[in-house]
Amino acid sequence: MKNYKYAWRNLWRNKRRTAITAASVFFAVYFALVMRSMQLGTYDYMFKSIIESYSGYIQIQNKEFWEDKIVDNAMEFSQEIESGLMSDENVKETIPRFESFALVSSGSRTKGVMVMGIDPVKENLLSGVEGRLVKYNLSDDAVEKLMNENIPEPVKKNLELFRGDLYSGDGRIQLDLRIKDKDADEIMQVIKEHASVENGYISMGEEGALVGGRLAQYLGLSRGDSIVLIGQGYHGTTAAGIYEIKGIVHVGTPDIDSRIIYLPVDICQELYSAPGMLTSLVLHLGSNDDKSIDETIERIGNDLEEPYRLLGWKEMNETVVSQMDADNKSGMIMIGILYLVIAFGVFGTVLMMTAERRREFGVLISIGMQKTKMASVMIFEMIYMGLIGIAAGVAVALPSIIYGYYNPIKFSSDLAKMFEDYGFEPIMAFQWIDTYFLWQSVVVAIIVFIAALYPVRKIFRLKEVNALKA
Amino acid sequence: MAAIGILPVHSQNAAEIIRIADDKFNGETSSVGTMSMTIVRPTWERTVTFKNWARENDYALTLITGPAREKGQTFLKRGTEMWNWNPTVNRLIKLPPSMMSQGWMGSDYTNDDILRESSIVDDYIHEIIGEEVIEERLCYKIKMTAKEESSVIWGSQIRWIDKQDYLFLKAELYDEDGYLVRTETGSDVKVMDGRLIPTRLELIPADEEGYKTIVVFETLEFNKPIDDSFFSQQNMKRVR
Repeated sequence: MKNYKYAWRNLWRNKRRTAITAASVFFAVYFALVMRSMQLGTYDYMFKSIIESYSGYIQIQNKEFWEDKIVDNAMEFSQEIESGLMSDENVKETIPRFESFALVSSGSRTKGVMVMGIDPVKENLLSGVEGRLVKYNLSDDAVEKLMNENIPEPVKKNLELFRGDLYSGDGRIQLDLRIKDKDADEIMQVIKEHASVENGYISMGEEGALVGGRLAQYLGLSRGDSIVLIGQGYHGTTAAGIYEIKGIVHVGTPDIDSRIIYLPVDICQELYSAPGMLTSLVLHLGSNDDKSIDETIERIGNDLEEPYRLLGWKEMNETVVSQMDADNKSGMIMIGILYLVIAFGVFGTVLMMTAERRREFGVLISIGMQKTKMASVMIFEMIYMGLIGIAAGVAVALPSIIYGYYNPIKFSSDLAKMFEDYGFEPIMAFQWIDTYFLWQSVVVAIIVFIAALYPVRKIFRLKEVNALKA
Repeated sequence: MAAIGILPVHSQNAAEIIRIADDKFNGETSSVGTMSMTIVRPTWERTVTFKNWARENDYALTLITGPAREKGQTFLKRGTEMWNWNPTVNRLIKLPPSMMSQGWMGSDYTNDDILRESSIVDDYIHEIIGEEVIEERLCYKIKMTAKEESSVIWGSQIRWIDKQDYLFLKAELYDEDGYLVRTETGSDVKVMDGRLIPTRLELIPADEEGYKTIVVFETLEFNKPIDDSFFSQQNMKRVR
C-alpha cells in the first residue's frame, strides 16, 4: 500500500486526535487572516478618508509650488492642459484649488490659517465640503437643555462625554451617544430641537467663507459673523478681505479642522490679487483602485510638460504614508507574536500526538517496518492535517471578512471618544480578499512543516526496546 | 587706558567718521518725504509709492499712495512697535512677532530692519581698513565689528563713506559667522532741501539670485515741526 494511503487511514483511526491537531491549525489561520484583514482594511480606510477629504489621488501643480507653497508660485492653467487631462479615460473632472495662508482675526484673537479657494460645486465630487456642514452642535447650552429632556440615562452620560462636539450627520451622533435604533426617531427629534445648527453654503462670485469647526470654536465665531483675512498676495501685494461666515464645516482630521477656511475660488483669487490663477488642479477619477491610479499617473505624467507637474497621492501624503508604514510594521510584529503563539500551539499538539503513539511506532518497527517509510507516512499525515486546518480556517474566515468588509465595526461612546481624541475615525474596516490570504496560509503551512520535523526525528532515534515498554 | 592702548592708532578717527556720517544721515529732528520702492524679482517687478513722516528715530508714519490696490494703507512705528491700518478691511493690527522677519510690503526690507535701528556709533568697534572709489567719489572703507555686549543682528559691517561729504555710499552686512547677508548701496547724490544725500538706495540680498529692492527719494523736507499726536492710531486712519 502507498504511504499516502497509510497516512490517510491513520488520520481516521483516531478521529479526535486528528481533529485537535487540525483545529490548532484552523485557529491559527483564522486569527491570522482576520487580524491581518482588519489591520490592512483600517489603514486603507484611514488613507482613503485623508486622501479623499484633502489631497485627492492626483494633482497637477506648477512644479515650483510643491517645493515652495507661496502664492507667487500659483499659475494659470491653460485651456489645453485642462482638456488634455479631461481626455484621459479615467479622469472624470478637474477640480480647481487655490491654497494659501493668511492671518485671520476676529476681535482680539488672531491665528494663522490655511485658506483654500474651491469650486463649491465641483469640490463636492472630491472632499464633499457641503456634506461636512455642521448639523448638530452639542454646545453647553444644548447639552443643558437635553439633560432636562426625557432621554435614557446612558445617552445622557454620553452627552456629557461628547459635550462641545460638532456633527455633520445623523449616523455618527447616534453611534457616539449610543442611541438604540428603536429609540432613534424619538431621541433624534429632541436633539434636532435643541442642538441643530442652520448652515448655508458658499457659491462662486459671492463673498462668503466656510470655517472649520475647531477654528470657529477657537475664535468664538458662528454663522453670520465676519472674519478678516490678512496675508500676502501675488507678487508681494497686500491681501486683505472681510468675509461673512456662511457655514461651519466639520472636518474629520483635527489638524485640518482647526485651521481651515474655504472661500469660493474666484473670491480667493481676488483676495490674493491673482485672477485666473490656481495652485493646483485635483483630478476626480472614475476608478480609485491602486492599479488604475498608477496607470493614470503613468499615462498623464508622460504627456505633461513643464512647468506643470503631476503629484500622486503617495508623494503628497509622505508623512501619512510613513506613519502608516510604521503602524504597519507594528502590526506585523503583532502578527509575528500571534504566529509564535500559534507555532507553540501546533507544536504542543504534535508533541502530545508523538508521545501518545510511541508504543505504536515501536511495535511497527519491531515487526519490520522501515523507519524511512514510517517517517514519510508521518509527514503525509501532517500535511493532510495542515491542509484540512488551513482549508477550514480560510473557509470560516471568508464569510467573517466579507461580512466585516460590508459592515465595518463602528465604535461608540467611550471608545469612539478615545479614537477621536487621537485624531482617528472610530472605525475598524476589513480588507477585501487579497494576496495576504495566500501569505497567511503559507506561513501557517511552514509552521506545520517545521512541527512535523519533531515526530520524524523521534522516529529515526527510536529504540524499539524502550518504545515497546512505553 | 591699557585697553585703548592696544586699539589701532586710527580707531578713534574711524569712530569719528562714522559719527559724523550718521549725524548727517539721521541727525535731523524730523523729515517728510515721498518715495518709491521697486521690488525686483527674477520673473517680475513691482513698484510701491509712499509718503513718510518721521521724527527722531522713534516715530514714523507711512502712507501707501500706490498702486491703487494698496492705496490708503498706513504703517505706524512707535519705538519698537509697529501697527498696520488696512482700509479695505477697516482693521488696525499690531504686527505680531511672527511677522517681524517678513519683508515689508513684499520687499527685501524686513519689518525688523525698520524697527530695530541699533546705533552704528555705539554698538560697534570701528577700524579704517582702506580707501576705495565708489561712484567716482573717494571713500573711507571702514570695518565695524559688533561689540560683544551689544544686541545687534549683524556680526560685522563694512561701510564706504565719502571722504569729502561724509555720505554712506555702500555697506556690506555680515552675519555672526562672517557670511555676507546683503549689500546696500547709495547713489544719485543730490541736494534735497538744502542737504546733499544719496537719493537712490539699493538693497541686494546675498543668497537670492536676481533679488533686489530699490528705494528712490522723490521729495524730502527736513526739520518741519511735527506734533506728537501726528504719530497716533487715530491719525493712521485720517492721514492723506
